Amino acid sequence: MKTLKIWMLSLVLTGLASVGFAQGGKKGEEVKIKTSAVCGMCKATLEKGLAYEKGVNKATLDVDSKVLTVSYNGEKTSLDKIKKAVNELGYDADNSPATPRAYDRLDACCKKDAVH
Amino acid sequence: MLSSKRQAVFALTLTGLLLPFLGMAQTLAGRVIDAANSTPLIGASVIWLGTSQATSTDANGHFTLSPAPSGETAVLISYIGYKPDTVQVQGRAHIVVQLRSATAIQEVTITGKQDRYSALTPTNSQVITAMDLTKSACCNLAESFETNASVEVSTSDAVSGAKQIQMLGLDGAYTLMTTDNVPALRGLATPYRLNYLSGTYIDAIDIIKGTGSVLNGYESISGQVNVRLKDPEKTDKLLVNLYGNSLAKWDANVNTSFTLTPKLSTVLMLHTDQLNHRVDNNKDGFLDLPLGKHYNAFNKWRYDTGKQWVAEIGVQALSETRTGGQVGYRSGMPQEEGSFYGTESETERVSGFSKTSYTFKNKPYQSIGLILSAARHDFDSHYGPRTYDGYQNSGLANLIFQSAFGNTAHTYKTGVSYQYEDFQENLAGQRLSRKERVPGAFFEYIYQNSTNLTLVGGVRADHHNLYGWVYTPRFNVKYDFNPNSILRLAAGKGFRVANPIAENVASLISNRAFYFQNNLQPEKAWNLGGSFTQYFEVGERKGAFITDYYYTTFQNQVVPDMYSSPYQITFTNLNGRSFSKSFQAEVQYELTSMLDMKAAYKYFDVRTTYNGELLQRPFIPNHRAFLNLGFATPFDKWRADLTAQWFGTRLVPSMEHDMNQHESAIMTRTVHPYAVFNGQITRAFKRWEVYLGGENLLDHKQKNPIIAADRPFSQEFDASMVWAPVIGRVIYAGLRFTLK
Repeated sequence: MKTLKIWMLSLVLTGLASVGFAQGGKKGEEVKIKTSAVCGMCKATLEKGLAYEKGVNKATLDVDSKVLTVSYNGEKTSLDKIKKAVNELGYDADNSPATPRAYDRLDACCKKDAVH
Repeated sequence: MLSSKRQAVFALTLTGLLLPFLGMAQTLAGRVIDAANSTPLIGASVIWLGTSQATSTDANGHFTLSPAPSGETAVLISYIGYKPDTVQVQGRAHIVVQLRSATAIQEVTITGKQDRYSALTPTNSQVITAMDLTKSACCNLAESFETNASVEVSTSDAVSGAKQIQMLGLDGAYTLMTTDNVPALRGLATPYRLNYLSGTYIDAIDIIKGTGSVLNGYESISGQVNVRLKDPEKTDKLLVNLYGNSLAKWDANVNTSFTLTPKLSTVLMLHTDQLNHRVDNNKDGFLDLPLGKHYNAFNKWRYDTGKQWVAEIGVQALSETRTGGQVGYRSGMPQEEGSFYGTESETERVSGFSKTSYTFKNKPYQSIGLILSAARHDFDSHYGPRTYDGYQNSGLANLIFQSAFGNTAHTYKTGVSYQYEDFQENLAGQRLSRKERVPGAFFEYIYQNSTNLTLVGGVRADHHNLYGWVYTPRFNVKYDFNPNSILRLAAGKGFRVANPIAENVASLISNRAFYFQNNLQPEKAWNLGGSFTQYFEVGERKGAFITDYYYTTFQNQVVPDMYSSPYQITFTNLNGRSFSKSFQAEVQYELTSMLDMKAAYKYFDVRTTYNGELLQRPFIPNHRAFLNLGFATPFDKWRADLTAQWFGTRLVPSMEHDMNQHESAIMTRTVHPYAVFNGQITRAFKRWEVYLGGENLLDHKQKNPIIAADRPFSQEFDASMVWAPVIGRVIYAGLRFTLK
C-alpha cells in the first residue's frame, strides 16, 4: 500500500512537472523578475541587453518596483537563460546574483547602493 | 467604538503632523556627503533640473532649496572632483545625497549614449563617443573625424596617402594632440600620425576649440584633440575587428583585457593594416595609395586602489613601411631619368607614459599627480631621388598639484614640467638637428560659483634653452544664462617650434628645392574666440545649437611658400600679417526617435603674407557645409549613417608661370565646389556586428592631381597640389566580435 502511494505520488509529481515544462515551452510566455536595477540608465541597459537575447520578444523594466517584465518564446529560451542574461548585464534576477565582473563595470549610478 | 475613536484621533494627529510638511512640500532640504566616507561636502551645488534655481551646501553639507519654479521634481547635485548626480525628489522634503569622487586622473566613463556637446566644461568641447566611432570605417584616427564637423581631414598629396587634420582653417600642426591627456605624436611623427592610433584603441575623442588649458604645455594654438584610450577596467574582455575594402586593403584588430586582481587590470591592443595590391584607378601611372604594412601594439595597465592611489602605464610600439610612386616602381630601383619614380618610408616608434595620482584623505578636491612620458621616433625614407631620414627622442615630466582656497568655489592647479627633445633630420645630405630642454612652471585658477559662472585663468612660464623665456597666458569664461543657454569665451597665447620638413612632407614629392631662411624663429600666436550653445526641445525632441567664432593671429609663423615659384619651397619667418577667422554654426536635432540629424556651416578666412603681399591661403575654401544623418532602429539593431561634406569654391595655385610677370605674385585660379558622401550600414547581434559602407560614394576625384605625372624627374613634377580626393569610391565591409 505504502509503495503504491509513493508510486502514485511520483506519477502525479511527474505529471505536474511535465505540465510545468509544457507551459514553459509555449510561444507567448511572460515572466516578472525582481532585479537590482535602480535608475533610468539601468532600464536602458536591461531593455537593450535583453532585446539581443534569443527568444525574447519584449522586456520592460518598471524602475520604481524594479520589476522586469519579459515576454518571450518558451520554445527558444527559458526563464533560467533570461535570468542569466540579466546577471550578465550586471543585475540580480530574483535570487540569482549579478555576475561580479558585469556589476563592477556598471556606472556608479547603476550600482545597488547608489542613492537616488 | 473605543477603537474607532482611537483611530480617528490617531488619524488626526498624523494629519496634524504631516500638514506642515505637505504645506512646504515644495521646499527641499537635505545634505550632501561623500559616498566613500560620509564626510559632508561643503559648497556643493544643488539645482532644480532644467532651471537656474540653485543653492549650495553649508559647512555641514546641509542645504535648503526654495520651491521649484514650475513643478520640477528632480535636482542636479554637483561638486568639483565628484560625479554629478540627478535625484528624483517627488513628494520628498528631505534627501541625503552621496556623491562619488571622480577618480583623480581626469577620465570619464563612456557608457552608451553620451552628450556630444558638454554643458559642464569651461572650454568649447565636443566628444566623439564610442558609438560615433563605429559610424565610419573603423580604421584609424583619420576616419574617426568623419562624422564630426569641427575637425577637417584632408589628403596631403597624391602619392603618400598621408592625411592631415585641420581646425579653425589651420594646419594640424597647430592642434595639440594628446592621448589620455598626455601630449603625443608631436614633431617628426606629424606626417603619418593619424595612422598610428587604430580606431579600436579609442574609447572616445575630445575636441577642444581654442587654446585650452596651460597644463599641457604652450603648444596648442587652434585647439586640442584628446584621444581617450580604452580603459583596462571598463573595456570588453575581447574585441576582434576585421575590415577589408575594394582597394584590397585590409585591417585586423584584437583587443583583450584582463582584471588580474581587483586593483590591477590591463588591456592589450593589437592592430595591423596591409595593402599589397597596386591600384591606379585614375590612370596617371602612379599608385593611388602606397603599398603598406603596419604593425602596432598598445598595452595599458591600470592600478586603482579605490582609495587614494591611482596609476596608469601605457606602452606602444609600431612599425610601418610604405612604398608608393609609379606603378612600375619596385623597391631599390635607381631614382633617375629612365627609371620609375618611387617613394619609400620606414618608421619605427616606441613610446610609453605613466600617470600616478594621489588624492588626499578626506580632501577629495586635493590631489597630486605625476605624468611621465617618453618616445623614440625613427624614420628612413626617400621621395624619388630625395632622401629624408631622422629621429626624435622626447621626454616629458609634469607634476600637477590640485587643491582649493578655502572652499571649492576657488580651486587651482599648479605644477612644474620639464620637456626634453632631441631632433635629428637629414634631408638629401642637409643636416638639421636641435636639442630642446624646457623647464617650466604653471598655475591655473578656477572660480566656480554654485550656479552659473566659471572662470579659468592660467599662466605658464617656460625657459627654452634656444629661445629664452616663454610666457603663456590663457583665459576661459563660461556663463550659463540658464542651464540651456551657455556662453563661453576664450583667449590665449600659443608657442611652438616648427618642424618645417615634417609638416610639409607633401612638398618632398616634387622636385622643388627646399630653402630655409637663416634663424627661423618659433611660431607665436594669439587665439581669441567664443561660442554660444543653446539646448532646446521642439516637439519633445531634444536638440542643440552651437555657434562659435575664433580669431587666430600670428606674431610669428614659419611660412612655407610653394606658390611664388613652381621650382622651390621657401620657409621664411612671417613678414607681415597672418591670421585665420573661423565661424561655425551647428545644429543637432532628433528628427524622430530613430533619426538624428547634424548639420553645420563653416566660414573660413585664412590669410598669410607671402613675399610682402597679404593673400588668401591657397586650398582653403571659404565656405563649407556638413550634414550627417544617423538612423537607428530600437536598441540599435540596425544602424545607418550618411555624411555629406560640401566644399565651396577655393583658390588653388596655378603653376604655369608666365616668366614676363613679376615673380612675387602667386598665380591662382578658382576651382569648382564639390561634395563628398560617405555612408555605412551596421547590423548588430548579441556579440557580432557586421558593417558595410562606402567612402566618396559619388566617386568625385581631382583630375590630374599630379603635375607632370608623366615626367617625374623633370623640374615641373609636383604631387602636392591636391584639393580634392585622389582615390575614388571605396566600398568596405567588416565585422566586429565582442565579449563583454
